[in-house]
Amino acid sequence: MTLVLVTILLPVVTGALLFLLPRADRTISVAAGTIVAAITVGTLLAAGNGEWSVHWLSRPFDAALHFGATPISFWIALLLTLCTACAIAVCRVERTRDFVALLLTLEGTMLGLFLARDLLVFALFWDLMLVPVFFALIGWGEHPATAWRYFIYNFAGGLTLLLATAAFGVIYGTTDVIGRAGVPLIGGWAPWIYAGFAFAFLVKTPVFPLHTWMPPTYSGLPSPMVSVVSAVQSKAGLYGFLAIAAAFMPAYVHEYATPLMALGAISLIYGAVIALVQNDVKRIVAYSSLSHLGLIVIAIASQNQLALDGALVYIVAHGLFSAALFLLLGFVEEREESRGLLRLGGLGWQNPRLSGALCIAALAALGLPGLAGFVGELIILIGVYQAGYVWPVVVALVAIVLASAYLLRLYQGVMNGPERDDLPVRPDLTWLEGLAIAPLLAALVLVGVYPRPILIHTVGAVQSVPRP
Amino acid sequence: LTIPFTSADWSAILPIEIVAGTALVVLFADLLSGRQQWRYLSIAIALAGVAAAAAIAGEQFGHAYDAFFGGFMTGGFATVFEEIVLIGTAGSLLLYGALGPAQRVAGTTAIMLWSACGAMLMAGAANLIAIFLGLELLSLGLYALCASVDRKSARESALKYLILSSMATGFLLFGSALLFGATGSVALADLVNPSLAGNPLFWLGAGMFLIGLLFKLSLVPFHMWTPDVFEGAPLPVTAFMSVVTKAGTLAVFARFTYAALPAGIGSKLLLPVWIVAAISMIAGNAGMLAQRDLKRLLGYSGIAQIGYILIAMAGSTPLGLRYAIYYLTAYAFMNLGAFAVAAAISGPGEEGAQLSNYQGLARRRPWLAAAMAIFLLALSGLPPTAGFLGKILILAVTVANGYVWLAAALIVGTAISLYAYAKVIRLMYAPEEGHRAQDAHPFVPLAWMSAALCAVVVVAMTFYPLTPSNVLPLVR
Repeated sequence: MTLVLVTILLPVVTGALLFLLPRADRTISVAAGTIVAAITVGTLLAAGNGEWSVHWLSRPFDAALHFGATPISFWIALLLTLCTACAIAVCRVERTRDFVALLLTLEGTMLGLFLARDLLVFALFWDLMLVPVFFALIGWGEHPATAWRYFIYNFAGGLTLLLATAAFGVIYGTTDVIGRAGVPLIGGWAPWIYAGFAFAFLVKTPVFPLHTWMPPTYSGLPSPMVSVVSAVQSKAGLYGFLAIAAAFMPAYVHEYATPLMALGAISLIYGAVIALVQNDVKRIVAYSSLSHLGLIVIAIASQNQLALDGALVYIVAHGLFSAALFLLLGFVEEREESRGLLRLGGLGWQNPRLSGALCIAALAALGLPGLAGFVGELIILIGVYQAGYVWPVVVALVAIVLASAYLLRLYQGVMNGPERDDLPVRPDLTWLEGLAIAPLLAALVLVGVYPRPILIHTVGAVQSVPRP
Repeated sequence: LTIPFTSADWSAILPIEIVAGTALVVLFADLLSGRQQWRYLSIAIALAGVAAAAAIAGEQFGHAYDAFFGGFMTGGFATVFEEIVLIGTAGSLLLYGALGPAQRVAGTTAIMLWSACGAMLMAGAANLIAIFLGLELLSLGLYALCASVDRKSARESALKYLILSSMATGFLLFGSALLFGATGSVALADLVNPSLAGNPLFWLGAGMFLIGLLFKLSLVPFHMWTPDVFEGAPLPVTAFMSVVTKAGTLAVFARFTYAALPAGIGSKLLLPVWIVAAISMIAGNAGMLAQRDLKRLLGYSGIAQIGYILIAMAGSTPLGLRYAIYYLTAYAFMNLGAFAVAAAISGPGEEGAQLSNYQGLARRRPWLAAAMAIFLLALSGLPPTAGFLGKILILAVTVANGYVWLAAALIVGTAISLYAYAKVIRLMYAPEEGHRAQDAHPFVPLAWMSAALCAVVVVAMTFYPLTPSNVLPLVR
């Protein structure tokens, strides 16, 4: 089935072809980019379970250029294509053509990552997806140091992933393993291999002591790209935990569950507390991301089937609401030329549509029942409790209360309050912006009331270790 | 007096003879051209000769033959290294097309071809005399090439190279003499004798021999000459040194470690070499951080890259040799490509090797900048390039051979190197502030073509990793 390959190559090739357009042609690049990203949604759905594989290496271990969606990666890939299409549609940065090309390349590389069925291909795309973001940071970022921080942190993670992949391949004899039920790796170098993978995944997610690249990256990138990066790229590590660590090294995930959970719990609380006192709206969402993803790390560490199912739902939910939040705050920034919570205020009177959309996204993020965030959180908490871990559940409940506080503070600070006279007055959400946000919000509601398809796909797809 | 060599001996070194003969044709054609100096004609003749030699060397791939009483061994191993040498030579020759009439192209082309003969001889050399002969032929040409432009830094570079390289040759020669004293034979094959383990002459000789090689490979702590020599020498010569000299010397090193060491001695004798390689990977990459000149930067980069190639051979497994060759090939293309971009930007005066000239390159020359970005990504081991696959293959083979600490050193070195390479990428792609670098040359077709070709190969090698499978039986 070559549709899988088309899905991955189409954005990359279109991205490269965009460079043949005249530099100033904004409309064509945006239109072409949006259409191509929308087509990938279609090809991904059409490809379904189709796989495409060709032999790559036979020594020192077997490797194949093997692509195809697994029940887990299908939903993340779908999220990715959806977010990219929405993000490109509202691209208004300078040098639009180059930026759209980078976004498409980013989509292609991340599709390659999530659809990879071979660990070596996974490692290849893991490093490759850093490149477009690095280019965006040096071309459009606010401060050069941000680009370095992003690149060096993630490259360090990529290197340990590379070493772990090499060792895994040597011991296992093949890297063509993702999505297959394999013999778990035990003994010898296996704990070190797990450590190599875990480091890379934790940097990417990120969790507490390794997170310092994330807030400046998220606040420095233009909002269309950060919406894709925070929605999907940050899930690469969590997906790695599900598809690689939990599937092939479950014993070590279990053995080191407590430190992993502790890291998740610290991120959960730390992110929430910092988000509560930040004044940069993008940074608030960045820290809330740190907090929310900490919950997923806890779910993975618990290795309870229910919690893992909840983790996938929450991965999708977080992707949807963080993409929506970043895009909407990008609109606010474009209109008011400021991201300061103390500077902004009272926008809701003039911009009811913008205000409503932000309200839905923020409510989804704080876990209002009926929206996607709630389903994920609830299932994770039940699962983690079921697995016998009580304290992470308590920590998570505290963080969820904090989440309501900082998200309401964000919403109120931007939309409510008296109108500021010194802020520029710009029109409300245009139809195009509305059209770009609508699918994300609709999906939030849809997953909120009917998460069953995602849940059903996960059951049985993730190996879990019976609790001792 | 009868010459004891048969025609089979002479046909074994046919590729070398063709390259040497081509140099004479280049000079003769230059003589006919008079004052006009048809530099493209010189390059075209030289490339034709190189292509012919490559074709014939390829024919010899499957035929192992001991020519000159075991002095030169044809077949897989020699062929592979000869091809890499020829690729490096062709890539360097193309750069002369970018450098304008100020260079005495015909003369330098001829000398470069003769130097390449030396490296090709090293590729097949199987006794100490042939090794020395090849090394000297290679080096003598390089001294002249370094000084081939009239510039103070070039003269300094030539003198520095002469003195330090002579010292390396001295080590190698002394080591060879001691090895001869230990075995009574110049053939590398006669070193494979377990009784040598107790002979101090052997240990001393092998040690000095290896030091000579490490000097030529410019590993830390024998690396000090490299950045200065690279900076001062003309661009094509720097490219030539970074690829061809390394390929020839690596061939000798590989043959020595794989075919000449007595069983059980290798791991002890070579341990210091792996330590040196590990230090080089870290120190070479760290050295790049402070550089402001692309040629110096690539000089330091080469120190680390050779370290990567060497550690693949730790443990002396056949697979290790395959991956060393794979990475060496990839390295040749990455480096030649980077030098081609440098040549296209610097133009006739060669004043453009400073990194500041790369500022805003992406706006002025998007394709050239994209090619350079690919080479830099490849050198730092990022996908989708052969540098990525080469690194993972080397990691896998070193881990499989039990040298995990070498793999760790590679990881640390690579992490350091990223900053230096990405700094150049940032310089090219960041929106310009104020200063706008001047373009000396509008369009340099040969360098441009060379860069494009190298970029395609570097990417394609990731997905079609051709590694010669049956090389090892032909080492001995």
